[in-house]
Formats: sequence, structure tokens, C-alpha cells
Amino acid sequence: MALENRKWEQTLLEESRRQVLAGWPTGREVDLEDAMNYHRSLGQERISYHKLRRGQQEGVTFLQPRAGVALLDEHINLLNSLEHQGAADFLPTTIDSYTRLNRYQEADRGIEESKAAGRSMLNGLPAVNYGVKNCRRIVAATGVPVQIRHGTPDARLLAEITLAAGFTDFEGGGISYNIPYAKNISLQQSLSDWQYVDRLCGLYAEGGIIINREMFGPLTGTLVPPFISHAVGIIEALLAAEQGVRSIAVGYGQGGNLIQDTAALRTLRRLARHYLDRFGYQDVFVSTVFHQWMGGFPQDEARAFGVIAWGAATAALAGVDKVIVKTPHEALGVPTAEANVAGLLCTRQVMRMLAEQNVQATQRLADEEQVIEREVGEVIAAVLDLGEGDLAAGVVRSFAAGVLDVPFAPSRCAKGAMMPVRDLRGAIRLLHPGNLPLSRETLDWHRLKIEERGREERREPDFRMVIDDIYAISKGMLVGKPR
Amino acid sequence: MPRTTTIVLGVIGADVHAVGNKILEMTFSDAGFKVVNLGVMVSQEEFINAAVETDAAAILVSSLYGHGEMDCRGLREKCRESGIGKILLYAGGNLVVGKRTFSQVEAMYREMGFDRVYPPGVMPDVAIADLRKDLGL
Repeated sequence: MALENRKWEQTLLEESRRQVLAGWPTGREVDLEDAMNYHRSLGQERISYHKLRRGQQEGVTFLQPRAGVALLDEHINLLNSLEHQGAADFLPTTIDSYTRLNRYQEADRGIEESKAAGRSMLNGLPAVNYGVKNCRRIVAATGVPVQIRHGTPDARLLAEITLAAGFTDFEGGGISYNIPYAKNISLQQSLSDWQYVDRLCGLYAEGGIIINREMFGPLTGTLVPPFISHAVGIIEALLAAEQGVRSIAVGYGQGGNLIQDTAALRTLRRLARHYLDRFGYQDVFVSTVFHQWMGGFPQDEARAFGVIAWGAATAALAGVDKVIVKTPHEALGVPTAEANVAGLLCTRQVMRMLAEQNVQATQRLADEEQVIEREVGEVIAAVLDLGEGDLAAGVVRSFAAGVLDVPFAPSRCAKGAMMPVRDLRGAIRLLHPGNLPLSRETLDWHRLKIEERGREERREPDFRMVIDDIYAISKGMLVGKPR
Repeated sequence: MPRTTTIVLGVIGADVHAVGNKILEMTFSDAGFKVVNLGVMVSQEEFINAAVETDAAAILVSSLYGHGEMDCRGLREKCRESGIGKILLYAGGNLVVGKRTFSQVEAMYREMGFDRVYPPGVMPDVAIADLRKDLGL
């Protein structure tokens, strides 16, 4: 079957579901009717869609940590600490890397080794192995919405099991959970597998259960220019809406320059709404998510708090619906519960102090917003052109041609011909545009910004400058000045 | 002129962290090594096959996602079985889940047969200097 951006027929979904559910013994536990009844029993404060809507009406920004460990009881204890000591508004269940690659046998071994070692040997919760009944214990033990966060190119079975368990929020998409997370998986495959996930959410929606679907904005988390992640997030939102998804969150990872980050968050909300409306999905609810700095962190905890606080300040000043919070252990691997709570408390403190302030509407901010809107428009128009009107086909062809491109991605689908670098003020620009379909006017804007930095630092902007930028924050600055 | 020294580079297991891998490829190449970069998600067998095929002097294993302990165990033994038991093995990154002291981590990896072990945040220049020293270059 050729990939196209069209709502799946019922027969195709039913046939695919039978195959997917037979993929691991716990698939047998999935019973849609029982699942929907369980969802109906949840109060609105435990359902992502309702809480996000209320937050938007009241102008509240919510906080959410990342967390997941191998053993179920430990995981529940961890979430309880984050909810009660950290006052998290949304909870996560982060899935381990074996499950993300559908290696359930290895995940089983991870559970056994963790039991034997008395500590988690996995970097997340292997939800497929635990199955519906066990996972429901997580939902039952928490008082706020719990989201599945992962990085799974083929998340069909994971979605089946966790949605049936009562989770109301599911992160990922056919681009954002392939390009940064896989090496050899084709976009045809991942886009099709995510159509399944989105169609499954559509099925729940038809039963009155609205699952929030969040697109993973930061991508590789390494100097991704805003227009790239915006274009990817908006395309994923459109693909999801076509399959019947009714609540979509689009995300953005902090770049570090306040003006660019503010422009990015303001345009992300506007552009997502604009494109969903333009393609006929006016009834889809949209929210925005801001990820605190996703690149390398300083190892020193006090300095890491500085990075976290700047992310908190940016979120408060720029305005966003939800913030994904980092921890002071970021540079050292999977954090302890205490470190995770500390990240939440630090973020909350800064955000409350800045609640009455925002970034002033200056000409510079207006320029940045205008550039991002133009860039996103140029990219999405080219993708639709290449797909001859079909967005899904357009995505596959655009990545092959480098018309869509993501820097530092492990996937062979990404050409990696574009190269980003910071400008003099730390905003992320294009050093090499690769094959990105940008107008002369847009390219000139990037070129001038980078020439300005080259002059200031008295060096030719090249790959060394990019490497300096990648390590800069872990060394205590935003722009990687010459060594 | 001495023959160019070949090294095999990759991120082990189910790990997809690509950024550091790309930087290592660039900096080791820049330092004059012939780099066989296997990229992300590399199995022990792939590391060893590449090292045998290219007569490599060292295998540089990266792991950022915390499963490194399970992924790296047995690599030295498999090298021995493949006739490259003496090859230099380096490991670096976030090598275990949870916060443990680096000396604990280093001891664990030494025990597994690694010659050099690096905590997060070490710049590539350090490993390049160590490799030159270990190879007598």
C-alpha cells in the first residue's frame, strides 16, 4: 500500500491491530471497551486534554519532568515523589531504549537484571512487557495526567497497551521519533506506523475519549533552527489530525537566545493553528510545549541549575502552555528522584517570580517572528510541491532531497547537508543551508548574521565554530568563542 | 612515512546519540587517524568485524543512554575469540544508569577489559593524546 495522507479505512486498521496485538503476549490484554470505560472513570484533572484546555483558558503554564525506571513499584514511588514533593502538573512515564526499538526480550532481561541488582538497569519503564493491568497501576496511583514519553519509531504496540491502561497523553510522531532516534528505519515505515497510532487515538476520540498527542519538538536537541522543528511539528500535527486526533501539542526546544526563543514560541502556536485551520481541522485543540535546554549540560549541579533557571525564565517571559523540566544530573545520565524534584522546584520558583512580566514587543522580536514564519512557509510549500499535494509522500521525498533536513541526526533518512551555527547573539542560524528550499532573502539574513560573528571572532565560520557552540553551554557560555 | 593508524568508532547497543559520535569522527580524522565510523546502534559483533577487516589499532566505544554496562560486557572476550584480544578498547560517555562515582564506573569497565574509560564531558583532545601514547605514536 502506497503511503498517503488519508484517514485509514476501518478494515485496514482492524487487520493491522490484530497483527500488532499478536506481537507480544501482553497484546492479548488490550480490550478497547474496557479501556474506554476506564478512561471515562477518570476525573478531568487527570486527563491531559482537559487540563491543557483549562490551563490555556486560565493562562497557567504547567510543569512536567521526565522519569522512568525498570521496576514498576519503584516507578510508582518515583512518580509519587515528583507529584507530591515536586508538585509536577503532568507526570511522565519515560520508556526504556530497548522497548523503543521493540526489543521486548532484551527489556525482559533488563527487568530481571534490575531485580537482581536492586537498582534500575534500564533507562525507562518497559511498558509493553508489563502489559495493560500492570501499567494501569501507574495511572491509578497518580492524581495528575500521565504521559508516555519515549522515542519509538514503531510505537503501535506501546500505544495499544498504554492507552488501554488509561494513559491520556502520548508523545511522538513519524518524523520526530524516527530521524533523531533511529538509524535504518525508512520514513515510509515510521509515518505509516504513526498513522496507526494516530488512527487508534482517532478511534478513542470517536468513543468520546480525547487522547492528547504531543509532537517531539527538540528533534536532535543540537542547534536545531526553530523553523526546522516548527515545520516538522506542524507536518506531524496535520498528519495526526487527518487520522482523527483531536488534541495536539507542538513542541520547541530552547535555543538560548531570548528573542529567538520568544519568537519561536509565539510563531509556533500561530502557525500550528493557521495550518490546521487551512487544511480543515478547525476542531483540533492545539497547545504548545517548551523544552528546557536539550543539549549538553554542565556537570556541576549549581551550574546546571543556572541552565535550568534560564529555561524557566524564557518560558515565563515568552509564554507557553507546558514546560518539560531538566534536572541538575543532566550531564551525568539518568537522574535520581531528588534531582528531578530539585529541577521542578527551581523552575517553579523562577517562573512564579516572572509571572507578571513578559518579553517586550520590539522590532527585533517582530523581525525574528517574521523570518520564522517565512521560513516555515517556504519549507512546507516545498514539501507539498514534492508530494504533489500529498503531505506524507512529500515528507519522504523531501528528506531524500534534503528539502527537509535535521542536523546531527543518526538516521540515514536525513541528508545532514545543512549545518547550523550560532550568530553573535547566540541565535541559531544556518552556516550551510544544504538543500533547504529557502528564498534568497531568507538565506541572506542567515549569511549576514554569521558573517557578523566571524568578523567579531576574527575567524572563518566553519565546523570548528559549530563544535565550539555544541560544547559551549557545558563550559559556561552560550556562544562558543574561540579556544 | 608510518602507515595511517585505523580506529573503529561507534555508539554501542540500542543507543542513538549521534552528536558526540559525529564530533569524534571529525576530530580524530583531523588528528590524522583513519576513522571507521560505524555510527549509532552498533553491536559488539559489528565493532569486532570492522576492527578485524580494517586491522584497526583501537575500538572506541561510546554509550550515552545508561545501558552501557549490559552492552559492553563480554566485548573483550569476544575480541579474544576473534583473534584481536590485544586491541585497545576505550569507552566513554554516560556509562551507567544512576549517579555513581566515576572511580566506581572506571573500575567496573577496567574489570570488563577496557584500557581507557572516560567520564562525560572529556574533550576529544584528551582521548587523542592517550591514544597516541598507548600506540607509541
